[in-house]
Amino acid sequence: MATITIDEQQVECRDGIPALQAALEAGLDIPHYCYHPGLAVVASCRLCLMEMKLPHPKTGEMGWVPKLMPSCQTPVRDGMIIRFQSDTVRENVRATMEAYLLNHPLDCPVCDQAGECYLQDYSMRFGRASSRFVDAKTVMPKKEMGPRTLLYADRCVLCSRCVRFTEEISGTGELCITSRGARSEIDAFPGLPLDNPLQGNVVDICPVGALLDKDFLFTERVWNLKSTPSICPGCSTGCAIKVDTADGRVKRLKPRFNPGVNDWWICDDGRFGYGYVHDQRRLTQPLTRRGHDVSSPPWEEMASLVRVRLENESSEHGSEKIAAVVSPMMSCEEAWLLVQFVRQVAPESVLVLGHVPTEGKEQRFPIGSTNGQAKFVIRPERVPNRRGVELILANAGGSVIDFAAFIERAGAGDFAAAWISGGYSSEWITKEWAKAVVKIPLIVAHDLFPSALTEAAAVILPACPFVEREGSFMNHSRRLQTFQRALNPLSGCRQDGQFLAELAGHQGLYNGRRVRELMTAAMPEFGLVADPPPKPAHQH
Amino acid sequence: MAIADFKPVLLQNAGIDGGCTLDVYRSRGGYEGLAKTLKMSTDEVVEEVAKANLRGRGGAGFPAGVKWGFLPKDRTQTLLCVNADESEPPTFCNRVLMEEDPHQLIEGTIIAGYATKAQIAYIYIRVEFHEQFHILQKALDEAYAAGLLGKNILGSGYDLECYIHRGAGAYVCGEETGLIESIEGKRGYPRIKPPFPAVEGLFHQPTVVNNVETLSCLPHIMTRGADWFLGVGPEGSNGPKLFCISGPVNRPGCYESTMELTVRELIEDPRFGGGMRDGKKIKAVLPGGISMGILTADELDMKLDFADPRNYGLLGLGTAAAVVVDEDTDIRLVLANMARFYSHESCGQCTQCREGTAWMHKMASRLALGAGRMEDLDLLFNVPDTMGMMPGLSICGLSDGAAFAIKTTVKKFRNELEERIREQDDGVVQNVLAVLN
Amino acid sequence: MSWPTIDRNQSPVVSDAPAVLNDAVREKIRSFFDRYDTKRAVLLPALHVVQDALGYVSWKAMMEIAELLGIHPSSVFDTLSFYTHFWTHPKGKKVVVSCRNLSCTIMGGAKVLDAIKEELGIGEHQTTEDGRYSLVTEECLAACDHAPCLLINEKLHKCVNPADVPALLADENNDRLDMPRSDLFDAPGRSESSEPIAAGGGNGKKD
Repeated sequence: MATITIDEQQVECRDGIPALQAALEAGLDIPHYCYHPGLAVVASCRLCLMEMKLPHPKTGEMGWVPKLMPSCQTPVRDGMIIRFQSDTVRENVRATMEAYLLNHPLDCPVCDQAGECYLQDYSMRFGRASSRFVDAKTVMPKKEMGPRTLLYADRCVLCSRCVRFTEEISGTGELCITSRGARSEIDAFPGLPLDNPLQGNVVDICPVGALLDKDFLFTERVWNLKSTPSICPGCSTGCAIKVDTADGRVKRLKPRFNPGVNDWWICDDGRFGYGYVHDQRRLTQPLTRRGHDVSSPPWEEMASLVRVRLENESSEHGSEKIAAVVSPMMSCEEAWLLVQFVRQVAPESVLVLGHVPTEGKEQRFPIGSTNGQAKFVIRPERVPNRRGVELILANAGGSVIDFAAFIERAGAGDFAAAWISGGYSSEWITKEWAKAVVKIPLIVAHDLFPSALTEAAAVILPACPFVEREGSFMNHSRRLQTFQRALNPLSGCRQDGQFLAELAGHQGLYNGRRVRELMTAAMPEFGLVADPPPKPAHQH
Repeated sequence: MAIADFKPVLLQNAGIDGGCTLDVYRSRGGYEGLAKTLKMSTDEVVEEVAKANLRGRGGAGFPAGVKWGFLPKDRTQTLLCVNADESEPPTFCNRVLMEEDPHQLIEGTIIAGYATKAQIAYIYIRVEFHEQFHILQKALDEAYAAGLLGKNILGSGYDLECYIHRGAGAYVCGEETGLIESIEGKRGYPRIKPPFPAVEGLFHQPTVVNNVETLSCLPHIMTRGADWFLGVGPEGSNGPKLFCISGPVNRPGCYESTMELTVRELIEDPRFGGGMRDGKKIKAVLPGGISMGILTADELDMKLDFADPRNYGLLGLGTAAAVVVDEDTDIRLVLANMARFYSHESCGQCTQCREGTAWMHKMASRLALGAGRMEDLDLLFNVPDTMGMMPGLSICGLSDGAAFAIKTTVKKFRNELEERIREQDDGVVQNVLAVLN
Repeated sequence: MSWPTIDRNQSPVVSDAPAVLNDAVREKIRSFFDRYDTKRAVLLPALHVVQDALGYVSWKAMMEIAELLGIHPSSVFDTLSFYTHFWTHPKGKKVVVSCRNLSCTIMGGAKVLDAIKEELGIGEHQTTEDGRYSLVTEECLAACDHAPCLLINEKLHKCVNPADVPALLADENNDRLDMPRSDLFDAPGRSESSEPIAAGGGNGKKD
């Protein structure tokens, strides 16, 4: 640790980090574009320049060195004295902001970035109110950089973050700067567009509206968005994200700073994997079947209805004939509540770790990096909470089997009744599994979409996707991370945790934290929530 | 030593028949400096050069011995780069040295290589120097054949490979780290420092970059001694120096003298510029390459040494290449020409230089077309203050050059510029501004 | 998109297009590997050789250079576009480079440029219909002692008068160097009388 003085305030910080990083972590608003803590330092934007106090080379007396220094390329040393509040520093920022705006098109009314734009913000805070430029603005082209990303080159401030991202993080090297001077442009080799699994991150790190996400283009003004912290359910890495919603819909997902897990990044699968939330085909009402009679009881009746039917099966056929498939898409709290309920009605019931879809091998980035060097990993296990569910099942004890075994036994007619939870973002029941599952006389299906499972189910309970729930997931390295509810459950659905709490006999509103408190009695792991610290306010 | 007594040193083989060939070079004392060097220890050579106060002739005036001293003592690899990019308008003395006496440069390179323990020397030559490239490569071939390059030079045990690397048209690749980036096959973006090239340069190895004229002094320092070099010309600006003069003078060319030479002498003395052609009068002179700034006709007594230019508001001696602007040349043309140059050559990394040079180019061009405003003069005077490596605002010195060239011109020729604006047709100005917006 | 957009998804090179760099050129490029620590450092020499061989550096050539050097084509593209010397589309058999910097301008360089434009009937960065000449202007060529000056391919012409221009451009040998040449950066098997490159005739702005 080091103690330095910034603008006459003592600041404690990690030794050797850039002075800019120390200032940002101390909550100071230091303008910067090219600097990013996850990328190499280039010191090209010249916004973060500071003054440093050093001993005079001849007299040894401490004095402010007239030559400004980039705070991004100056590592802190204990005792360093710097300042950002001086006329020279302020004048440089003002002049540099003016330089940026000379050729910048007046696109704010049509630019996605408005409201979260660092050209707008810095101009307001540090820049000039009017332009002194009367000449013709240099016009730059619009480009399709790749299948998902656009570049409006005349908005670009040439911070080169995107180029460094494809060089250092994805390791794919598609982006480059072409031409020279004020004619420089971000570009890609024609035919080798920006197209890698992490490419969406370049839009995040672009401080202005130059790089644009086609998915979000012209979709929503950012000040209309409500931002909710969450965890991506796409794989077992457990990237921290934020869910931006408006008008009851998810508009976009963005990464949340999460050091050691996903740092500043998420992959495209996670970023764009929310379409299913608003899919028209979602189940929207509880249904029960008896023979050919289908009825749609209200939610208030469902808890006792399900309890009664399962209790009947249990007493008639024996509690070991009851199974519960606990999906690894469920949160830890939901899984625990489900297990509590099932073991209440059927103490010898068989608990099943739900289907764990895997895709390929671990994908490490930058491409070609070895295990220790990777800066981002997409894991083959495409569910967020296998570890959490496993832990809960193990703790419950008794008969615990995996999904393959469940299918085998179901096919052999072992079960009289089963609660089967899904919650996957796409079709997951294969034809073979369906053949086995339909042999179970009483199925309670808790899922998002109609399928062969719901066709065969006696009770259908519409589930909610992660944005409509709150709780926690345990990632591949057993890190417990919480996610919050971004949207109300779709009309006709009830939040999974709420319904499961009711089933398990709990009173009142479902609350993830309170359920975890109950869980920690038997499983202390669930008391160790490791949510990421907030990013410094002015870091971007 | 008065200028009258000065006998050419660097140009001693210029104009000699066969002067580019090894045989003639040797017959006139060539490679004796190298032979002497190879008998000394590398430390001794560095000391001798440091003692001689050989200041860099590429524009910055940084002492070569001090630069070599920055190399880490425990290094195992060293690379030497010869800066033959010569793109500072209106400089051409390196060109003259290479086409008239390539072996002098090669000998200087080998001496520098030996002193810095370099394994490879890259000569970065601008692509437009076609003839000079052919001459230099032929001379290198001769040197290799004679055992002056390659393994075990003159039986000393010292190995040095020397390769020519051709540039491709970029002024900023004359900046030492821009040059290094260019050799590495990248865009010529000057690097942020630290780390300095002496510690981590070309291919991450300790690297020294020296100018052609600087290296050409080395054979003479080694043959005649540091004390001799110290005695040529004034203290602090010692050693023979090449000066370029161009523009409407009777004898444009590259001349050698001591740094007691004044701008007036360079222009008017019959041994140098020979006075103005056709009785033209002097309006202005840019004495150091355009990047140092401009002098009025009243400032011609400035000495072309490392110190005096600062007394005239110039950035420094620069490349000591003077161009004379005559009274018939519109100062707006000069301003627009220089502004266009910097805008075209800015690499584009630093915001204020990239955008500022383009802005000044647009304003100066509009001014030269007769649609300027008084406010433009204020802007052309103030925008230069927003850029520059010396105040810490930019990564490299191109921005300082742009700043000095434009700011000094606007400052010293303000009256004339205002006069031109007053003479403008108001209607034209309004129309042009309307069209631009 | 309802406005013109450059589409980087599209390749300008047909997928089964034949190689543009023959074995001799590739061998020549490889011969530079020993001189440098990295293959990327061979990029500028390679571009010089390829431009000499093909007359310009096409997209396909960039891809083949990238493959030879083990770098991404975007690295060839970004480096090439930084410098003014490389052409990305065919140029004339001879390139006339007129200096537009201060000394040449003071000494009447603008009139020389006008004379060239008039004689050839083209503007800057354009090529004559018959493919003989392309015209560009450049910053200081470091020949200010002989201003105004012109480069025609490798040959520097000094103290050029506007009146001299027609005769100069008509002279078949105006690009001939009367001196021993080094072929270090030449395309292998370069012949003295090569065919004129087919002209585009159009506006030769670099892509």
